[in-house]
Amino acid sequence: MLVVASLVVIAGGLVCVLSDAAVAQGAFGVGRPTRAPQPADGVLGWLLAQQASYYRSFAGMIRAAKADGMAVYGLLGLSFTYGILHAAGPGHGKAVISSYLIANGETWRRGVVLSFASAFLQALAAVVMVGIAAAMLGATAATMGSAVRAIEIASYLMIIAVGARLCWAKGRGLLAELQRLKSAPAHQHGHDPAHATATLHADACCANRHHDHHHASHAHQHGPGEACDHSHGPEPQDLAGPGGWKRGIAAILAVGLRPCSGAILVLVFALAQGLFWVGVASTFVMGIGTAVTVAAIATLAVGAGSVARKLATSRNGVGVLALLGIEVAASILIVAFGLLLLTGYMANERLFGG
Amino acid sequence: MVKAAHNIASGRLSASWARVARCLLLCTWFSTGTVGPASAHPHVWVTIKSELVYAPDGSITAIRHAWAFDDMFSVYATQGIEHKTNGVFTREELASLADTNVTSLKEYDYFNYARIDGKRRKDVFGDPTDYWLDYKDSVLTLHFTLPLKAPVRAQSLEVDVYDPEFFIDFAFADDESPVTMTNAPLQCALTTVRPNDVPAAAMSQRLNKSFQPPSEAFAGMGSRFANKILVKCP
Repeated sequence: MLVVASLVVIAGGLVCVLSDAAVAQGAFGVGRPTRAPQPADGVLGWLLAQQASYYRSFAGMIRAAKADGMAVYGLLGLSFTYGILHAAGPGHGKAVISSYLIANGETWRRGVVLSFASAFLQALAAVVMVGIAAAMLGATAATMGSAVRAIEIASYLMIIAVGARLCWAKGRGLLAELQRLKSAPAHQHGHDPAHATATLHADACCANRHHDHHHASHAHQHGPGEACDHSHGPEPQDLAGPGGWKRGIAAILAVGLRPCSGAILVLVFALAQGLFWVGVASTFVMGIGTAVTVAAIATLAVGAGSVARKLATSRNGVGVLALLGIEVAASILIVAFGLLLLTGYMANERLFGG
Repeated sequence: MVKAAHNIASGRLSASWARVARCLLLCTWFSTGTVGPASAHPHVWVTIKSELVYAPDGSITAIRHAWAFDDMFSVYATQGIEHKTNGVFTREELASLADTNVTSLKEYDYFNYARIDGKRRKDVFGDPTDYWLDYKDSVLTLHFTLPLKAPVRAQSLEVDVYDPEFFIDFAFADDESPVTMTNAPLQCALTTVRPNDVPAAAMSQRLNKSFQPPSEAFAGMGSRFANKILVKCP
């Protein structure tokens, strides 16, 4: 039953990503949708309307800060609120981070750190971008636009890479677990010659170390060692295992490398008013607000993940399979996000025309 | 006994289903919040003024648009553009930016969507013929003439100006007449509808379906952020 359930999750996740993509695809030259998309309603609509009105008041507040230093505090307060709302609305950051946390069986602490680190990086990226390109080199908006696009492509490719790597590791674990369930009696007879192919050894290395100690002694033969680092056995306690910061950094870079257009506009505007530092402060405070929301969502995702893990512990075998299924689904979602972003089916941000 | 066991089992089962459902919900929320159309908020605001240009035979030949950008985007767009006098950009200094704007707008059909006699038509508009940017009081304005590929005489013409993805917020200027007609036949009547306005006539038609089907011009035109230009000629 749980297997079916996890398949439903996979299918559901993909269907909702792809069907939305089909609606959104028109805007990118593939042919416009035949029906005009409706603006968002309800909570999302309210969020977007709020953000828009906050965002519009940035210009006036930066101008006011020129004359009145106290206006800066108002601007920073607004930046924080805007950051919180902005992350609750659209943006692939929270989706990628949450999927990543679920797929990796991470702790909420790591989720919070990942959220803050990626938001900080994103603010830094905008400041560095505008600070170097606009303030020092006097680059035009068009030049900055192409720089953002280049960074964007790199970051989407990284998202795909992060997802693919997880998918590979988790998928192998899942396959191995399936294999183990199928041939469970065979293990009692020790090494089954029918399984003696390199792939199965590699799978077994990651998935079966607790069931087949014989394999552990041959760890050096089992394909690329990294597969083992990332796909510990399906035993629940192993899934949350201590992860090096290396793999987290890839996710932080993938999500945070791309500066958001909103911050770039604010920075350029502040620069033109001779108040670059006000723009910098606003950008970082916005980043803190964003991080708060993303961290909250990430914690929620981790909570859902640990519920699944508990469930899996209580029913060994099929439960573990379901858990692995969910993790594979989450990593497939990351790849899907990356692909949709890269191909332009999923629009992120766009300024005028470009 | 057997029944009790069954109850326990099904209770567990529904609990796990609930968890799975929650997970699914989470996934859906992530992806819809991320992918759905109009899920972004605009970063650019454009104030529209338009002029419909008619030929002597009463057919419409072009639309002249003047799109004024909000001050943040005006500053952003002019960043790094060389200019002689501080705070002043001449038409010549902005010429290459105007080129860029108009060229990249093509991909978005210039955000102009036409319906002729109730039918949505593509390829109505050609490429802008003359265009330039001006910069006054820190406001950058893009002027361009959008010619019709072939002049059109129609009983009903509707042009919607909007960004379906809502990255750009278009709005008619706050004037009494953000849209004007030049040389139009006297009997042609011009109406403009701002986003979120639903004209009373269309509303009553919608409410009273037995009366007649809703006018094609409004049916399915859906987008609440569209700025509609409507011209009716008998």
